[in-house]
Amino acid sequence: MMRFIGLIVVTLGLGTLAAAASAADGEQVFLFYCAQCHGTGGKGDGPNVTKFLPVSPRDFTDAVEMNKLTDAHMAQVIRDGGPAISKSAMMPGWVDTLNDEEIAVLVTHIRKLCDCPGKQE
Amino acid sequence: MKPLMSSLVVPVIALALAAQAQADPGAGAALFNDQGCMECHYTEGPSKEKTIDDQLAKTGPELWYAGSKFQMPWLVAWLQDPQPIRPLKYNSINEPNPENHPALGPQEAADIADFLMGLTSDVVETGVIEPKKKDRKARLLFAKDQPCGACHQYPAKRKVKGGLSGPSLVGASARLNPDWIYAYLLRPEVFKPIKMMPVFRNVLSEEQMRQIAAYVAAFK
Ligand code: HEC
Ligand code: HEC
Ligand code: HEC
Repeated sequence: MMRFIGLIVVTLGLGTLAAAASAADGEQVFLFYCAQCHGTGGKGDGPNVTKFLPVSPRDFTDAVEMNKLTDAHMAQVIRDGGPAISKSAMMPGWVDTLNDEEIAVLVTHIRKLCDCPGKQE
Repeated sequence: MKPLMSSLVVPVIALALAAQAQADPGAGAALFNDQGCMECHYTEGPSKEKTIDDQLAKTGPELWYAGSKFQMPWLVAWLQDPQPIRPLKYNSINEPNPENHPALGPQEAADIADFLMGLTSDVVETGVIEPKKKDRKARLLFAKDQPCGACHQYPAKRKVKGGLSGPSLVGASARLNPDWIYAYLLRPEVFKPIKMMPVFRNVLSEEQMRQIAAYVAAFK
């Protein structure tokens, strides 16, 4: 328990530092990189969803579907792209574009959009 | 040897003089300021953007490597008749392109194009990419195995396919320098450090980047 609390304190401390230095804002990162396909509200209705897109991006507001995914699974698909989890290559990998902190705040932001805790590991 | 040399040198100088009579890069630089172009475009490298806010503050694309990116004839023509390149408004994913870019007269366009073509990046290696229209592997990479077509319009059998968030790649064969396309895929951080397009460094091999660049460079 003590170790657990210690960890929280450390993470919080780091969190404030990171916020001061780089301020990765989940909503801003989402709107800039992801909304072009997933839509500003995450409904899977961005401007790239045309009749030419062979698969529809996930609706992040669908709590039932989103609850089937763990946070780790989401972080993996964001980092390595659809094919890494046997899904469509139209979901790009962002490994060379986003750092771990940005990927983490994205996962948190998507959890806000679905208002769901996600599948626990 | 001597007569051959001078017979080559003379026409080259004559050509250079003729070009100077037609377009004047010094005049182009002054015009670029007078016409207010620098309010939306910066012309001094290297790239300045470090954060998403920096990118969103821009009201037009950076032009400091215009001479490495564009083809001169396209540039002269476009400045006189600027047709939309990005389907959507610059830095927006909700609004359509307002289609209101300032247009120039022929002499101003020639002078400014001459000035812009002098702005180059030494990161772009010349003579590497030869446009290649029919390449099944590259076509699969572009449209199926990679999401390029999800964000870019491109020509496909007499119609236009693709998504809307990136600049249209229709007409890339006249607009873009093939070598720049490869340089941009290989080292995007030099040209556009903060952009909505993913970086493909660990996704595509350099060979695949060259294949895709050659394929895109042939788009009509
Ligand atoms: C080029 C369009 C595009 C962009 C940009 C994009 N996505 Fe996706 N995304 C998709 C598509 C299409 C799917 C659905 C894949 C499938 O079901 O096969 C998807 C699926 C997902 C999934 C669900 C994976 C699963 O297991 O069902 C997550 C999570 C996700 N994207 C997150 C993101 C994040 C975060 C970003 C921004 C960094 C982003 N996406 C940017 C197209 C895109
Ligand atoms: C109010 C802002 C604004 C002004 C002023 C402006 N531009 Fe632009 N310019 C833009 C935008 C936005 C685009 C993108 C247009 C598109 O994609 O259709 C653009 C595109 C361009 C391009 C193509 C760049 C690319 O990467 O696609 C060139 C070249 C250019 N402008 C030159 C000029 C010149 C020369 C002037 C002055 C006569 C000028 N611009 C004035 C906003 C501006
Ligand atoms: C998630 C959407 C997205 C994907 C996927 C994508 N691009 Fe882009 N691309 C963009 C955007 C947005 C820009 C403009 C960036 C800027 O100017 O800030 C761009 C710019 C470009 C340019 C420069 C065009 C110009 O006129 O400035 C080329 C060439 C290009 N992309 C090719 C590709 C290729 C090849 C692929 C696949 C390997 C690809 N793109 C995948 C969104 C995307």
